[in-house]
Amino acid sequence: MELQVQLLMNTLQIGSVYVLFALGLTLIFGVMKIVNFAHGTFFTAAALIVSSVMIWGVGTMGLSIWFSYLLAFFLALVVVCLIGFVVYIFGFQYFLKDLNGSFILSIGLLLLLNGTFLILYGGVPRSIPDVIPGNVSFLGASLTLQRLVLMIVASVITLGLYILVHRTKLGLSLRAVAEDQEAAMLQGIPFRRVALYGFLIGATLAACAGALMATVTPVTTVIGDDFLVKAFIIIIIGGLGSVLGAILGGLLIALIESFGGYYFDPSTATLAMFVLVVVLLIVRPQGILGHAEK
Amino acid sequence: MLRSNPGLALCILIALAAICFALFSGDPYYVQVVIWVFANAVLAVTLRFVLLIGELNIATAAFFGIGAYATAVASTIYDLPFFISLLAAPVIAGLVSALFGWITLRTKGPYFLLISFAFTEIVRLFYTKSEFLGGNSGMIGMFPPMVLNDYYPAIAITLLAAILFGLYLTERSNLGRVFKAIQNNEDIPRSVGLNVIGLKILCFVIASTAVGLAGGVHAYTNSVIAPADFTFFVAVLALAYVKIGGEGHIIGPIIGAATLTLAGQFLHSFGPYENIFYGAIIIGVLLLMPGGIIGLGKGFIGSSTVRRDPH
Repeated sequence: MELQVQLLMNTLQIGSVYVLFALGLTLIFGVMKIVNFAHGTFFTAAALIVSSVMIWGVGTMGLSIWFSYLLAFFLALVVVCLIGFVVYIFGFQYFLKDLNGSFILSIGLLLLLNGTFLILYGGVPRSIPDVIPGNVSFLGASLTLQRLVLMIVASVITLGLYILVHRTKLGLSLRAVAEDQEAAMLQGIPFRRVALYGFLIGATLAACAGALMATVTPVTTVIGDDFLVKAFIIIIIGGLGSVLGAILGGLLIALIESFGGYYFDPSTATLAMFVLVVVLLIVRPQGILGHAEK
Repeated sequence: MLRSNPGLALCILIALAAICFALFSGDPYYVQVVIWVFANAVLAVTLRFVLLIGELNIATAAFFGIGAYATAVASTIYDLPFFISLLAAPVIAGLVSALFGWITLRTKGPYFLLISFAFTEIVRLFYTKSEFLGGNSGMIGMFPPMVLNDYYPAIAITLLAAILFGLYLTERSNLGRVFKAIQNNEDIPRSVGLNVIGLKILCFVIASTAVGLAGGVHAYTNSVIAPADFTFFVAVLALAYVKIGGEGHIIGPIIGAATLTLAGQFLHSFGPYENIFYGAIIIGVLLLMPGGIIGLGKGFIGSSTVRRDPH
C-alpha cells in the first residue's frame, strides 16, 4: 500500500511536468498546425537560466534562496518569451500550416540553440540548492516538500491554462482558429496575432516546466530532449491539439513510467508506451480525444 | 533513353568514375569519403521517396539501422556468407517496414511524423538494452571475405549507385506517378479504384528496403556499428540534404548529400560549432532559397531562356 502510494505520488509529480510540456506542444499544434521540435530548447533554456541565476544570486549576491528562485523563474519566463518572439517573427510566421517546412525550421533551431547552450554552459550537469527543504508524509509515503509544491504549482498553471482556453475571449479565438482558420478569420479574428499568442503561451508553458524541473533534477544542456519523445507520445495518445487529451496522456505516460519503471525497468516502460501507441493507432488513429480526421 | 537525357548519362558516368576511383585509388580515406557521399545520397533519396506520397518519414534512420543490424547479426552471430548477410539487410528492413507501414500509414501528416520519430528513438533504445545486439557499444567484426576485400569499396559504391538508379526509374514509372497523385489529392486515385493505403505501404516498403540495403553496406564499410549511429538525427541530416539540394527532382538530394558530406569533412574540426553550422545552414537555406540548389539552377536557366525568347 505504502509503495503504491509512493509510486502514485511519483506519477503525479512527473506527470504534472509532462502535462505542462505537452500542453505547450499541443497548443502550438492546434493553432498553427505545426509540430515544434524546438520545444525542448525552450524547456532547456528556462532550466539553464534558473540554474545560473540561482548560482549567481545565492553565491555571488547573497540573496535568500527563495527570492533568487522567484527572480530566476521570472527571468526564465521573460527570456524564453523573447526567444519565442524572435523565432516566431523571423521564422515560424512564414510556415504557418506548413508541416514539413516548419519541421525543418524547428530542427534547424534545435541544432542552433543546443549548440549555443553547449558552448555557453558546457556539458557539466549543475544542481541548484533546495528551494523549500523538508519532507511530508502522506498515507505512509514520504515526499519532499519541494516536489509537493512543484506538483501544486504545475497543477495551478494547468488549471489556469484550462480556464484561459475555455473561459476567456483569447481562448475562444485560439479554439476557433484551431477548429477552422478561414471561418475564424471571417468572424474577424486576427489569425496571425492569435497564432503569435498561441506560440508564446506554448513557449511559456515549456519554460514553466523547465524552471520547475530545474529544482528537482540536475540541469544539463540536453535536458529538454528527453522530454520531447515522451511529449510526442503523450500528444499522439491524447490527440493533437486537445488540451484535456494532453493532461490525460501526460498522467497516463507518467503512470506507466513510474509503475513500469519500478516493477520492470525504465526501458521496458518506454517500450510499453510505444506498444500502447501502436495499439491505440490501430483502434483509434486520431487519439483518445482527438477530432476525427478528414 | 540516354541520348535524350544527357543529365542521366552524366550521372551514370560519374558513378562509373567513382567505382573506378575506388578500384584504382591508393588512398583509403578518399575512397571512404566517396562511399559516405553515396550512402548519404541514398538516405536523402529514400527520405524524398516517401515525400512523394506526402509523408515525412523520420523512420528512414530506423530502417538504415535495422539494415545495418540485420547484416551484423547475420555475419557475426550466424556466420552467414557475405552476400547472404548483405541480403538480410533489405529483407529484414522490408518486412519490418511492411508491418510498421500497415499499422501507421492509416494516419498521415503530423501523426505519421511523430510516430516515425518515436519509432526511431525506441528502436535505438531497444538496441542499447539488448545484450544480444551488444548493448550500448554495438557490434563489431563485419568484414567482407578476404578475396573480396580489395574490391569491397567498388562493390559498395556499385550497390549504392544501383539503389539510386532503381529509385529514379521507379519514380519515373507509372507507379511513381501514382505516388505523386496520392500526394496531390489521395481521394482522386481512390475514386478510380486504386487501393491508396496499399500503395502508400508499397512506397514506404520500397524506400525502407532500399535504405536497409544501404544500412547493410554501411555495416560492412565501417565494420563497427553502434546504436548512437542511428538516432533520428540521421534522418534530420538526410532532410537537410534534400532541402539544400532541392526536392523538386531526384538529383537534388544527391547534390545536397554530396555538397554537405564534403563540407562536413572540414567541419569535423569545429567541434561543438558543427551543429550550430548545420542549424544555421538549414534555417538559412529554408528562408533564403526555398528551392534549394537545383531551384537556383532552374531559376538561372529559366531567366536565360526568357531573355533569349524574343529572338
